[in-house]
Amino acid sequence: MNRWTARIRSLVGGDDRRARWRFWLALAALLVIVAGGVAWRLTRPGARFGPQDGTWRRVQINGDLYVGLDPSYPPFAEWTPEQIVGIEADLAREIGRRLGVETQILIMGYDSLYDALYTGKVDMLIAGLHPDATLTDWVYYSQPYFDAGQVLVSPRDAPVSAMRALDGQTIAVEMASSGDAAARRWARRLHALTIERHLLPQDALRSAEEGRAAAALVDAISARLYLPAHPGLVMAAEMTVAEPYVIAMRRGDFRLTAHVEQALQAIRADGSLDEIIAHWLLQAG
Amino acid sequence: MKRLARPSRHKLFAHLLRAGGLLLVAGALTTLRPAPPRVVLGPPHTVQTVSPTVCVHTRLTDEVDEWKIQRTLHMVREMGAATIVEFFPWPYVERERGSYDWAHADRIMRHAENQGLTVIARLGLVPAWARPPVREKVTTLTYLPAERFGDFARYVGAFVARYGDRLGGVIIWNEPNLSHEWGDRSPDPAAYTELLRLSYQAAHAANPAIAVFGGALAPTNEPEGSGSGMHEVRFLERMYQAGAAPYFDALAAHTYGFTHTPADPPDPQTINFRRVELLRAVMVRYGDGAKPITITESGWSDDPRWTRAVRPGQRIAYTLEALDLVTAWPWADHLCLWQFRQPSDFHNRRDAYYALVSSDFFARPIYEAVQAYALGWENPYAP
Repeated sequence: MNRWTARIRSLVGGDDRRARWRFWLALAALLVIVAGGVAWRLTRPGARFGPQDGTWRRVQINGDLYVGLDPSYPPFAEWTPEQIVGIEADLAREIGRRLGVETQILIMGYDSLYDALYTGKVDMLIAGLHPDATLTDWVYYSQPYFDAGQVLVSPRDAPVSAMRALDGQTIAVEMASSGDAAARRWARRLHALTIERHLLPQDALRSAEEGRAAAALVDAISARLYLPAHPGLVMAAEMTVAEPYVIAMRRGDFRLTAHVEQALQAIRADGSLDEIIAHWLLQAG
Repeated sequence: MKRLARPSRHKLFAHLLRAGGLLLVAGALTTLRPAPPRVVLGPPHTVQTVSPTVCVHTRLTDEVDEWKIQRTLHMVREMGAATIVEFFPWPYVERERGSYDWAHADRIMRHAENQGLTVIARLGLVPAWARPPVREKVTTLTYLPAERFGDFARYVGAFVARYGDRLGGVIIWNEPNLSHEWGDRSPDPAAYTELLRLSYQAAHAANPAIAVFGGALAPTNEPEGSGSGMHEVRFLERMYQAGAAPYFDALAAHTYGFTHTPADPPDPQTINFRRVELLRAVMVRYGDGAKPITITESGWSDDPRWTRAVRPGQRIAYTLEALDLVTAWPWADHLCLWQFRQPSDFHNRRDAYYALVSSDFFARPIYEAVQAYALGWENPYAP
């Protein structure tokens, strides 16, 4: 008989009433913890007694994926007489292809998007949406597929990769944009930063190109539309102000969200996403 | 198994009682909500401004929280706008015929007065009791049968009697030249003129000094007979032909710039800012040139998703230029920007990008620029 067995026997059959009670209480607590663990495993989303992802099941059985899209935002989504085209339409179709199902694009006004997702009219939204913290109790937001934020653009022979490198220099921005607001913040942090405001992002980019400003801080879409025709300029690798576009799905559709994330990761990893974006931005430019 | 001794049982019972009590307290704590913010009027304010032209259209009709009404009007005053346009729907006040509930209207008027603001009241919409029963005809909130014009005029009279001295005027109906604003029927200038006549008489009977605004016409290129609307110039001509001239003290007009600069010349086929000059020309032609025009809706959107919007910097430049233009026009008195703020930006993206302040009270750059203009400060968004 080892020491522990003897100890347990003394607790169960011993004369010390308090020790006996402590033992039974500890045993009961242990049982509760074990039962809780088993219950948690059995009732997890997707487990035998847990909530099921009916959307993913339907997508697999019917072989179609319903995507809500607002076709009023070229080059992301546009309604042509033939079909819905653009970055978001192509991305929706590519995700469907990777999941082995057919993408059905449902077009709707921007204000109807979340209602359509909530009521189950669509399975996901790809419509230039930003993550909205007030909706995350039921909306799941994917990793970004595009960042439309503010990015530094500077001459190729004097590249500027970060705002801190602009101390004592001039930056060109689009007036009243989030880039303008960011430049104002940086003007307070740096010793000296001259802000040159332009009505249009193209004018800010031209200022950087002609050397009046060391760099331009403009939105990524304007920058990517401008750069192909102006090879003397280069875009910084990182955004100064992020404005990510994400896919919205229902949080309860946990299998669908996982599969879409995997598909999106694969589309990004093999360069398909960059190809889609470059294709439509080139067309728009 | 041995039973517990009596003292131990008592101890256990006491522990259970304490635990139960704690659970009850914890449960009660989870149901607690913070008290609603206390709204205190405070001392009366006056608006400091160097530009009486600056005016905004507020959206307090559906604002539930009183502190948000106060905060909105406080920010309007701080921006330097001395006048607001606000909507007071008839169905909100007279839900049952002859029984008026002024609570919400009183709340808005009380805070506006406290901030020193002049209110131009836009009156419209139709309560269910004044529309045909659904079993007979399905109608919209803008469907006012001719036999109920008198009831609407009675509401106008009651409104003016209650708030007359504090009002900058009342606008009779909204955009009657658009079908969806006229009960999904073809616009009818003669019928609108009759509504205007009855309303004018009721308003002036209640307060002879009140200014009655006719029109609030929307810019549209729809030809006469269209199912969607009627060109506002044609509509105004038809109003004059129906004898509207004696029944309004000023014309309310809506004019939007879309992608055009404010300087773009007026053109009957292009919706731009100076198109309002075409309405002025009609008034002069019909011998009514002494009456002013109040622009009760105007502005530019900076929605990046909309093809009829401009960039944020252009919006600022165009808005300030438009204010200069209206100030220079001797026949125009206010430029009311659509819109100051709406209760929720979530379900109305289009209006959210027309707003000067977001629904969570974030002052957008356009607010700062208009504020600088109205207070005579240096424009923080000068190129």
